[in-house]
Amino acid sequence: MKKKLVSTMMSLTMVAGLLAGCGSSTTTDVATDSTTEVAEEVAEEKVEEAAEETTEEATEEKAEETTDSGDKVTISIYTQYADDDTKVPYDYAVEQLAEAYPNVELNLIVQAQDDGQTLKTLAATGQLPDIFQASTDVINTFRESNQIMVLNDVAESTGFLDKLYDANKDLAYSDDGNIYAFPFSGQEYVLWYYNKQLFEDNGLEVPKTYDDLKNCIDTFTAAGITPLALFGQEGWNTAAAYDVIATRYAEGGIKDLDLQKANITDQGYVDAAKTMEELVAAGLYQKDATTTNYDQASEMFLSGNAAMFINGQWYIEDATKALGDNVDWMFYPAADEASYEAGKSVFSGGGSSSGFAVNPDSENAELAAEVAEFITEKYCEAKVMYRHNPLVAINTGKEPESEYPAMMKKLSDTLPSVTGTTKFTWGLTNSTFNDGIQSETQGLVSGQFTADEFISDMTDIMEDMND
Amino acid sequence: MKKYMGNKLAILLFVAPALAIFILFDFIPIVQVFGYSFTNWNGLTMPDFTGLKNYIKLFGDKVFVTSNRNQLIFAIIITVYQMFFATIFAITISDKKMKGRKFLRVAYFIPVILSVTVVCQLWGSILDGNGLLNKFFEVSGSDFKQNWLGDRYKAIYVISFVNAWQWMGYQFALIVAGIKSIPSDYYEAAVIDGCSNVKAHMKITIPLLAETYKFCLIISLTGGIKAFTEMNILTGGGPNKSTFTLTYMMYNAAFKKSDYGYGLAAASIMVLECMMVMLLINFIFRDKDQGKEEEKSRRKRNA
Repeated sequence: MKKKLVSTMMSLTMVAGLLAGCGSSTTTDVATDSTTEVAEEVAEEKVEEAAEETTEEATEEKAEETTDSGDKVTISIYTQYADDDTKVPYDYAVEQLAEAYPNVELNLIVQAQDDGQTLKTLAATGQLPDIFQASTDVINTFRESNQIMVLNDVAESTGFLDKLYDANKDLAYSDDGNIYAFPFSGQEYVLWYYNKQLFEDNGLEVPKTYDDLKNCIDTFTAAGITPLALFGQEGWNTAAAYDVIATRYAEGGIKDLDLQKANITDQGYVDAAKTMEELVAAGLYQKDATTTNYDQASEMFLSGNAAMFINGQWYIEDATKALGDNVDWMFYPAADEASYEAGKSVFSGGGSSSGFAVNPDSENAELAAEVAEFITEKYCEAKVMYRHNPLVAINTGKEPESEYPAMMKKLSDTLPSVTGTTKFTWGLTNSTFNDGIQSETQGLVSGQFTADEFISDMTDIMEDMND
Repeated sequence: MKKYMGNKLAILLFVAPALAIFILFDFIPIVQVFGYSFTNWNGLTMPDFTGLKNYIKLFGDKVFVTSNRNQLIFAIIITVYQMFFATIFAITISDKKMKGRKFLRVAYFIPVILSVTVVCQLWGSILDGNGLLNKFFEVSGSDFKQNWLGDRYKAIYVISFVNAWQWMGYQFALIVAGIKSIPSDYYEAAVIDGCSNVKAHMKITIPLLAETYKFCLIISLTGGIKAFTEMNILTGGGPNKSTFTLTYMMYNAAFKKSDYGYGLAAASIMVLECMMVMLLINFIFRDKDQGKEEEKSRRKRNA
């Protein structure tokens, strides 16, 4: 009996110890009297409620006080901070923010290049930052769960809407007519860069047709130069590589597929897949393109080991810095010269309703919304002034610190004649299609998936789009 | 001891904490996974019950077949590689006459303590198109340059090798511990009987390590079924999902397509596969143990 009692006591001690260890620092007394227990529980609840109320009030008061009194308010921001194109605008915005909002401090959380996976995980666990860079897909997902703030009033009160260029007015609004993010990028374009020096050295003209391009591929390959460096590890780059071909056959490119205005089995898209298959077989991209990242591909192009490169117009600054006058962009080649000329007015890329969004559950949501708008403006200013990129969402009234690079001038001269654009993958609205087009085009680029497989798989994916 | 074991309250109290943690952090989430797999859910809003729709779609998905094939290849490669080399190395360093055994014991285990990310970056640099391995072939005048990680069919073998290389040391440590627990008398008796070293290990070491092997088999096979990290870092599941596994399918559906319901259907199948493998291994080993016990009691009776 004694041993039984001892063993029971030992067990109890162990369990109590474990619970105490796992639990909070609050101690709980075991009451033997049930009446006392109930009374204590009621009293405890009341104390807890009162404490919670006091804490909430105190927090609210503190938040108000901090903004008025000079105490720092820290706002977390989830945004890109990887290269000059993302670092320069952010650093400039922080600098300007310190002057305009001396009490506000930004806590940067560097955005992962993961198609919004980290952000969605943060949202699922209730840990969204105060401000976050949201793509169209993220906006569509978060608005269903009310995890993204409607910014209509802030956009109006801060004058953001008045500053938007007319061509970018649509970018601010989602399809339900609300503003969920302040866009800082305007209409953007996929450019087909090439190294002029390498083309000249090898006696080549800028290709207008796919036959010309195949000739370039053969010449560069024979000279030990990679014809086109692709960073296929990032799905958007392979999708863009397909889109620049698709737009030569079907103007709407991947945008029309995303919006289901066109079907992958339409002749234009089938022809585009077959052309891409042929170009891959001819050796347009490096063999390990699907495992090559941006840094590696860019290095290949900038060091003269690759003759061509596909990237957005934001790359103009970096390319010009490294290659000077030896770099330019070309209109995308087409099946024949007539299509080439006709296609000059259609570009892959385009704007999207993505930008800085605000977490409505943030402790300082109103302030965060103001700050988000402010940062957006400053991003645009920095892009114009220091990145020589006038393709921003709003009219900043700023001038670049030096003359625009030749490639940007050429693009500016071309823009008035542009009649159509498509989408970057972050502007696509259907996540099933977005995932599908990125992986399927990666398959095409690898050279191990045929055009027929691409069409067949994409047909299945497009059937799933409405599920 | 018997008295303590007879105290049901003590048993309950000792078991309760671990059981509570298991139920809270393992059992309930698994039940939830199965529950949500029958819904259309984006992970943020209220789920809609859709019955077997996710499963019907999953079984018709080409990527599901690819994922299962990859898991099988992955599991077989890591199991064979790890158990074979771990046994050889463990037996080798168990020989007290061997020089440098302490160094080798540490060397074999080092990859285990490295982060998977570090190991993948290391092998990524070696296997890259312009990486060390291809450079080696280039320098040696061979044209055997390969697209190691970008090949639709070969990439999964390469990724499996990376995992096998890293975790071999873990099984090595288990087998070394197992060998140490075998009394040296058995080997001395074998030597007196004129048994060679190799034969002694075949007849004594390996049979007596049955329980260790059972555990090694479970961790490698289930590790193969739930493989994810190496694919994510080395190939991103590509090219075109050709290095996907069910875990990757779950991750992709949940976080890229915001289709948690479908992702959790893939996860449910993965859990079932892991359980089936464990049951199968337990069944195989239990059967043998029972046979041995029966043999022993028959011998006793005959004696």
